[in-house]
Amino acid sequence: MIERVHRIGQGMFLALQKPMSRAFESTANPLNHLGVLTIFFLWVVLISGIWLLIFFSTSVSGAFDSVEYLTNEQWYLGGVMRSLHRYASDAAIVTIFVHILREFMFNHYRRNRWFTWVSGVPLVWIIFPLGITGYWLVWDELAQYVAISSAELMDSIPIFTDSMAGNFLNDDLVSDRFFTLMAFFHLIGMPIFLVFGIWLHVFRLTSPRINPPRRMMAATLLCLLVLSAVYPAVSHEQADLAMTPMVLRLDWFYLHFYPLIQITSPGWVWLMLIATSGVIVIAPWAPREKAESPALVTLDYCNGCERCVDDCPFGAVEMVPRTDDTNYSHQAEVDPDLCTSCGICVGACPTATPFRSRGDLVPGIDLPDRSAATLRDEIVAADEQGATPRVLVFGCRDDRQLRDLQEAGARCIPVNCVGQLPPSYIDFALSRDHADGIMLLGCENGLCTYRFGANWTEQRLARQRDPMVRRRVDLSRVALGWQAPWSGCRNAVDKYKEFTASLAK
Amino acid sequence: MKWLTEITFYGLFAAFVGVFSAWPDYQLVAADRAIVSVVFSHAGQRVGDCRILTQDELNELPPNMRTMNDCPRERHPVRVLLRSDSETLYDATLQPSGIWADGKSNIYKRVEVQAGTHQLFVGVSDSGDDAGFDYEQSSVVDLVPGRNLIVQFDEQSQQIIIR
Repeated sequence: MIERVHRIGQGMFLALQKPMSRAFESTANPLNHLGVLTIFFLWVVLISGIWLLIFFSTSVSGAFDSVEYLTNEQWYLGGVMRSLHRYASDAAIVTIFVHILREFMFNHYRRNRWFTWVSGVPLVWIIFPLGITGYWLVWDELAQYVAISSAELMDSIPIFTDSMAGNFLNDDLVSDRFFTLMAFFHLIGMPIFLVFGIWLHVFRLTSPRINPPRRMMAATLLCLLVLSAVYPAVSHEQADLAMTPMVLRLDWFYLHFYPLIQITSPGWVWLMLIATSGVIVIAPWAPREKAESPALVTLDYCNGCERCVDDCPFGAVEMVPRTDDTNYSHQAEVDPDLCTSCGICVGACPTATPFRSRGDLVPGIDLPDRSAATLRDEIVAADEQGATPRVLVFGCRDDRQLRDLQEAGARCIPVNCVGQLPPSYIDFALSRDHADGIMLLGCENGLCTYRFGANWTEQRLARQRDPMVRRRVDLSRVALGWQAPWSGCRNAVDKYKEFTASLAK
Repeated sequence: MKWLTEITFYGLFAAFVGVFSAWPDYQLVAADRAIVSVVFSHAGQRVGDCRILTQDELNELPPNMRTMNDCPRERHPVRVLLRSDSETLYDATLQPSGIWADGKSNIYKRVEVQAGTHQLFVGVSDSGDDAGFDYEQSSVVDLVPGRNLIVQFDEQSQQIIIR
């Protein structure tokens, strides 16, 4: 059932990805940078917020006037900053929502990735109050509505003795201290938790990216600036607690659930919010994905080179002092709780070479369920099949296009991640004449289930990352089946046919 | 062409953000309606009378707990009735707060009414007697559309206030 939902969702994302890939290279496609785009929007919010704070007055009478001054008198800077503050906050909600949806659909939340997934939930619970308290500070009719509705929400929690909403009965009850308190929450309290939450969110990732590419930052900032200039954010009328605002221009990104407080009840809204969060939290275990054996270190062949440590996308491998009596100082050790069995460490291991003539093919680190020896056997066996030219496809098992290629008659060897394939296997297949060409099928940068599979493979083939493909390998006989700056690939089946035809010439 | 497609995508994103940051409008209250808010905290009367302890009973108590009166903690719920002309807008019995039911009864209720002139009646009962009200207030109010009329209970004067 859940796999079907994933398939449908992936189809939708890939349908969106297709026209976007015409405009963007994979490294510049916003869909591949949703998390870091969110962080960039939060930077914009922070910087524009500092400007607003300089002019903001934390008093009942001054709050509205100071925001009006920024919007109308200082429209050329303060007004733009206010709009940027608002639209960047809204844009962050869009990217967060699509980020969650995308990670869910591409199954990037189960098994050992549960921590990153679950730690995202408190982040959402911080970001929404952060945005909502920002609306209180303007002290216009929208602020009045948000303040009263938020107080009604709080009142429905049966731990407060007096009604918080009772503090908003008339203008005399609202004090300057209230604005100081809200400003503290909005400017200091919640942002501190947010920074800590973001750190926790990426804590278990190796080399987490924090910023999107510069070109993307410039483009998104420019589009928000244009939006701010064309459609500046403005206030409602000043809050008047003797009257009830009748029509409101709600910010639906932050306040979409507020009308439900009036339509249903605060209790139901809490139930809905908690239930939604609960479903997200338990999603990695509902149903639990079948666990695979973690990578296994064989000390007889581990020379402590650290390449597996450098390449592991989830920090599951670390170097520890040697426990045997060899001359090497360190050895690799796998944390089974963090290992996703992607095999990228095997692709990084210099001892995972199919050319080995003595003894069994046992590399320093290997996957028990999809071993380096099995891969070599399958290369040799594939030699016997199919027509010429013989193109051998090493395909990521998570790639939807692997099945399409198999149906198109390609000889496919599935791997856990394309990064699992050591470059020496390409050399082996070509130099030992087991294939005329090699096609690698994986998820493009940003879509890779194991984060760096495609990235590391590109760098190994470009001889920029160890272990590099040997110079004798003719790279014109190697094709990439994912969108990369130099692969020229939009569709794997088309690429396969095109590549096969080019080899036949 | 590639530039144009890129600009189109960023433009669509900006438009999406811009549009839903303030549209569609949300009609909180209809144009011809006003609000009556009943908001107060009031403790109901105790469920039983206080009893004066005998000297023997006092002697049995630790010195720091020797008070003359032994009063039950539990309080009666507070009943609130709000009526506009002959229409009952709100009628509820509110339980005392606290696990021993010894705290105040809290009420926060916003009721939409048709704008215009109304004869408003508010009754509060805190003695557990359903036959009548311990406190009553009646007033003719002129509610303009969007008006937020407040009904409170003043603990000092023990009166219902409509303002």
